[in-house]
Amino acid sequence: MDALSRRHLFGAAGALATLSVLGTEAVFSEARAQGPAKDRLVIGMSLEPPVLDPTKNAAAAIREVTTPSIFEALGRIDRTGAIGPGLAESWNISEDGKEYVFKIRKGVKFHDGEPLDASVVKFSLDRLFAPDSTVPAKSLYTDIEKVEVVDPSTVKVTLKSPNSFLLYSLSLGDAGIMHPKSAPTNDKKPIGTGPFMFKERKEGDSITLVKSPTYRDPGSIKLNTVIFKIVKDPSAQVSALLAGDVGAFPGFQAPELVERLKKDPRFVVIVGTTEGEVILSTNNGKKPFDNPKVRQAIAHAINREEIISAESGFGVPIGSHFAPHNKAYVDLTKTYPFDIAKAKALLAEAGYPNGFEASLKLPPVGYAQRAGEVIANQLGKIGIKLAITQLQWPQWLSEAFKERNYDLTIVAHTEANDLDRYARDGYYWGYNSPEFKAKWREVVAATDFAKRDQLLKEAQQIIARDAANGYLFQLAKIGVWKKDLVGLWENSPTPQLDLTGVHWK
Amino acid sequence: MLEFLSRRLAATLVTLALATVVVFAVVEVLPGDPALVMLGTDARPDTLAALRAKYGFDQPLITRYLQWIGGLLTFNLGNSHAYGTSVAKLIGDRLVVTLPLGAMALSWATLVAIPLGVFAAWKHRRPGDWGVMGFTQIGISMPNFWFGIVLVLAFAVTWQWFPAGGFPGWQEPLKSVHALILPALSLSLGEIAILARVTRSAMLDTLREDYVRTARAKGAPERVVLFRHALRNALIPVTTVAGLIAGFLVAGAVIIESVFRLPGVGQLVYDSINNRDLVVIKNVVILFTILVLTVNLLVDLAYALLDPRPRVRA
Repeated sequence: MDALSRRHLFGAAGALATLSVLGTEAVFSEARAQGPAKDRLVIGMSLEPPVLDPTKNAAAAIREVTTPSIFEALGRIDRTGAIGPGLAESWNISEDGKEYVFKIRKGVKFHDGEPLDASVVKFSLDRLFAPDSTVPAKSLYTDIEKVEVVDPSTVKVTLKSPNSFLLYSLSLGDAGIMHPKSAPTNDKKPIGTGPFMFKERKEGDSITLVKSPTYRDPGSIKLNTVIFKIVKDPSAQVSALLAGDVGAFPGFQAPELVERLKKDPRFVVIVGTTEGEVILSTNNGKKPFDNPKVRQAIAHAINREEIISAESGFGVPIGSHFAPHNKAYVDLTKTYPFDIAKAKALLAEAGYPNGFEASLKLPPVGYAQRAGEVIANQLGKIGIKLAITQLQWPQWLSEAFKERNYDLTIVAHTEANDLDRYARDGYYWGYNSPEFKAKWREVVAATDFAKRDQLLKEAQQIIARDAANGYLFQLAKIGVWKKDLVGLWENSPTPQLDLTGVHWK
Repeated sequence: MLEFLSRRLAATLVTLALATVVVFAVVEVLPGDPALVMLGTDARPDTLAALRAKYGFDQPLITRYLQWIGGLLTFNLGNSHAYGTSVAKLIGDRLVVTLPLGAMALSWATLVAIPLGVFAAWKHRRPGDWGVMGFTQIGISMPNFWFGIVLVLAFAVTWQWFPAGGFPGWQEPLKSVHALILPALSLSLGEIAILARVTRSAMLDTLREDYVRTARAKGAPERVVLFRHALRNALIPVTTVAGLIAGFLVAGAVIIESVFRLPGVGQLVYDSINNRDLVVIKNVVILFTILVLTVNLLVDLAYALLDPRPRVRA
């Protein structure tokens, strides 16, 4: 019996080994014979969307996969960040900015054949601000008082108070229009009105979309199949590109590996902009950071050039919490220029001639890790000794963000128009400025966009002057894709991926 | 034999029961709020509270523990909070990647390491032995993820014999086996090194025994001495270590699956911890516990087959 069972064991192991060698032979020839298909694109993603419904989870990756490919909103954000018609073909805003009347596009069908009409739009918008709503971006929509169906293709939205960002908010994936029938199951099987339909998902591996036969503008869809492939590890991202498994990486995560791809004639590397301001978040509510002089000293001690060089040169310096490519941007990087002597003097004035010790809690993202080491070194030069702690993302959210148990941390604020956080009570920076709050109320109420841009500039100046946080750089969008692929966005004005018009040369 | 078996089985069940308590406690003390992870930084307190109530995070600990155990016993593992899909399906989909990967790595490790160890012991303190010892030294020192990256660069990027990662799914069996070869190789390297060293030293011990000298004295051929007389006894410590290695393979899979983009159980654990998908973490860890306990039970049984003494004592 002994010998028999041992022979069986070895036999089984041998069979497995033989099978694997056979596998090699068979696939070897096949892999070489296959050329790249022209109607299909494999897009690499570094983060996996948990569910596929942007109204159920805040992850940016959900918006990248689903908006506007599967779900469309009333407005549509284009590659420049401008808002054009989406499922609403036009709209009218009342004089006082409190009434929006949307004309809904006619003849639009959901992927399951259900027609779109005003009642479906009302259903989708009502979910956003309902009292028991668990939509992550609910706070963007709480100014809405009511949504009414005027006729089958007209919807009226009434606000409690004017909100100059409402149109933008109603163009986000968060406000994607969903049908009451499919809404409960959209997290697993998303059904929308967009140019692509959900086909299948392999959790942890890939999500496959196919061309929608019912889309209103079939000529704009050049691809039959789009596969989102999850590749988290940066070196695996490079090998997936080099081996041809992935055709495009719109959000490449390893700046230090870009040089190698630039040299490869098969790829193009496109460096664009994002809405992500990387800041040294400062706990304004905690000693000694409640002292403006201490924050100013930190601002003077920050050398942005050095920090950006740690990002392999990717990123644009910022002096406030605002994106440089926005037309309301004002350059405030010289508010507290790099000056160690001045920084030390300010620290001494604040009562810390020998500096102090503080914690720097870093989330597990590449840019924070890289900038963290540099900041610790830079602040060390003026006597602020930073102890770096590494946190997992959920820990960062609970400990630094929710409980405000931190001194300094580094994070990118990636939402567009996110200056409003400085007006929020109880936000994790602990910044409390009646002056800013008043300014922000003016910004939100401004229905004239030229006026709003001027007010936004003033708002940027207030927080830069207060050195509310350390302002480091605007995160770059590094896109790497095959040379003959056309049409992907260079910039990322919102975390969306518009695949209409994308095709192979 | 039957009594031996039932005693081992009872011990395994007690260990499993204790493990559920430990796993539950550890998952509960993980810092981080699952609702906050799902809803992000813009979530309002009322939205967070609504979501917590929906998933039952506001229930007392003991209620949640009992609910979980009840689910385990009735094979109803619930739904993942992050993915929204059934935990059982989620784990099942991943096991079909990780189990073959582990089986391949373990079978290669055994097939390569045991002959290597026997060879080294046979060539004790001669160049053959030094060669094996040098190779295993490298195998132990080299991190398996680094070896994996080197394999990808050589065989996937430069020569393109193998895919750089990913898994096509078992509807394409040959392609799937093909995709598992490089990861299984990287996973097995360290195990080969350890197992070869253990085999070598166990063989050296048995080769010094009197019965081996007797066998040689009566003129048995060297092949018979090595494989029939010495190896059979040397296999007992080797089996123990092979059983332990099965546990290490599970841990190694977490990293190797990430290097090769394999949607396996290791990746599922990693993602669930990052998403604070508590339901999934609990169940996967318990599954791993069951796997390791089963392997240990099998090792005990293998002892009984290889060596009659435990049976007799029992």
